[in-house]
Amino acid sequence: MQSMQGKPEDHDATGRIKEAGRNAGALVVGVAPVDAFNEFIPPGHRPQDILPNAKSIVVAGGKGPTAGAWRCSDHRVMEITGYDFRENVAIHVMADFIESECGYQAIQAGSLPTAGHHPPMSMMLAAVLAGLGTRSLAANIILHPTHGMLYYAALVTTMSLEPDQRLEKDACPHPMCVKTYRALGKTPCMAACPADDGGCLDGSIDEDGRIETSYYDRERCVARSMNFGIGSFQKALTEIVNEDDGGKRKAMIHSDFFTQNLSALSFYKESVAQCFECMRVCPVGRDERKLL
Amino acid sequence: MKAIQEQDCGQVKADLISYCLKNGALVAGVAGADAFDDAPDGFRPADLLPNAKAVVVVGGAAPRAGDWACTIPEHLETMGTSDRINSLGMKVAKVIEDQFGYYALFVPPGMNKGNRPFLSIAMAAELSGCGSRSLAGPILREKFGFMYFSAIVTTLPLPPDAAVESPACPAPECVQMWESEATTPCMQTCPIEDCGCIGGRIEEGRWVERRYDSARCASRVHTYWVPGFQKTLEAVLDEDDKDKRKMMLYGSFFTRTLWSITYAAQSQAQCLECMRVCPVGRDMRTKM
Repeated sequence: MQSMQGKPEDHDATGRIKEAGRNAGALVVGVAPVDAFNEFIPPGHRPQDILPNAKSIVVAGGKGPTAGAWRCSDHRVMEITGYDFRENVAIHVMADFIESECGYQAIQAGSLPTAGHHPPMSMMLAAVLAGLGTRSLAANIILHPTHGMLYYAALVTTMSLEPDQRLEKDACPHPMCVKTYRALGKTPCMAACPADDGGCLDGSIDEDGRIETSYYDRERCVARSMNFGIGSFQKALTEIVNEDDGGKRKAMIHSDFFTQNLSALSFYKESVAQCFECMRVCPVGRDERKLL
Repeated sequence: MKAIQEQDCGQVKADLISYCLKNGALVAGVAGADAFDDAPDGFRPADLLPNAKAVVVVGGAAPRAGDWACTIPEHLETMGTSDRINSLGMKVAKVIEDQFGYYALFVPPGMNKGNRPFLSIAMAAELSGCGSRSLAGPILREKFGFMYFSAIVTTLPLPPDAAVESPACPAPECVQMWESEATTPCMQTCPIEDCGCIGGRIEEGRWVERRYDSARCASRVHTYWVPGFQKTLEAVLDEDDKDKRKMMLYGSFFTRTLWSITYAAQSQAQCLECMRVCPVGRDMRTKM
């Protein structure tokens, strides 16, 4: 196999890889150099610790719910509708492309927790470093300036690719949110889920209109946004196992709640979050959710 | 984006149907959102998406001829194919939003409360002319026979298709069999009066009565998957003998149930015997 040189100035290779990703369904694709992670990630957990001699990270972003799903008046639709996770497909297509066309190693970066809540690699950080978005006041969700909330997947490769620059301008807070904060002391996401009133979000915006502080109660958020899925399955199973009354056990096992948990784990495995209220009110990317 | 003019909706529909067929659908059609009169309140398209105008239906992803020919029953039990039609449904929803600028909602294939779907996809398939109901239960389309369907509710005002005029079921062979034996292949393979699920009556070449024991069918079709897990869990927790519990948890039944609800996610139906004998679409299941 003739391998490309893969030098950072190899615009053509980087462009072709991105094109392959977009053709496979990614809405956005960005590249970060592995060194960019050093500032944030301790040794032992960096990309080159996952793939020896890693040089670049390629990140793909895809949309989750359609605008129609956001508009649905039955909240249960958003609770169980899975996504097609095209960003993951795009990552595999690009990894194949890098290995077969360019002759370098490429692996999909693990994004699911392997210990506690920690994944082998943070997709959020990868997206930020690849210039696809910035952290938001709303649960730290990475927002793309045009598309708003996206789902991200990444690959690690030994190929040196032309990196993208991190975004100079934060996607959050949106100008409208700065105004709202100045007037009311809250942004729309904070108002939708206020930490001081049983919610998950709080924060402040400085004089320059940038995030000054942010607070996110992750445990509370998880307990609410992941009503169906692995965590709630474990919770329900614990209660079922601890129930001595056979009749009650039967009712719990065959209940809608437990059945939905099993469905969420299985066929509808994509359905892992069921709140979205902070994103529903977020103006970033709202134009894309306003259709005819 | 600008609203599509009424006179242009026909071309938009043609383009969309063409996209569906190019991307793996065997059939595609459109039902009017206001045509779901037989659906109960709360389960109609506009209940899911305000201002819904149409429901796009795509069908396909049936087991391949080789799957049907496989001599190991466990093959069809574990190798699901239906997920592909759901992927296509999601793609179509995105195309409607991204290319045409109208809201589109992929109807979840799962159940709402009480084992009830959000919208009857079978009804949508029937109203969109993608197929017709059969004695055996599934929507059948002439030539293709049994297939899986996915539906997308949209505000895009696509002109609806008409329901099929001549239902695919009963097939001429089945009518002949009924006239000579008072049964059809599907009824014979799963007779409701003999512990099966299907019964009915044919008059003048059309079925006029249909009996279908859905509860019995579900308990046989969904042997593995979510109900199988629940059934085993209940039995395990009711079992006092520790060794028996261990055997149940490590038994083939529970192991396969776990496979079917995890890795082999698409495998959710494990009978298909009524479809195996159905002559509608048999050519699709017959290869060299």
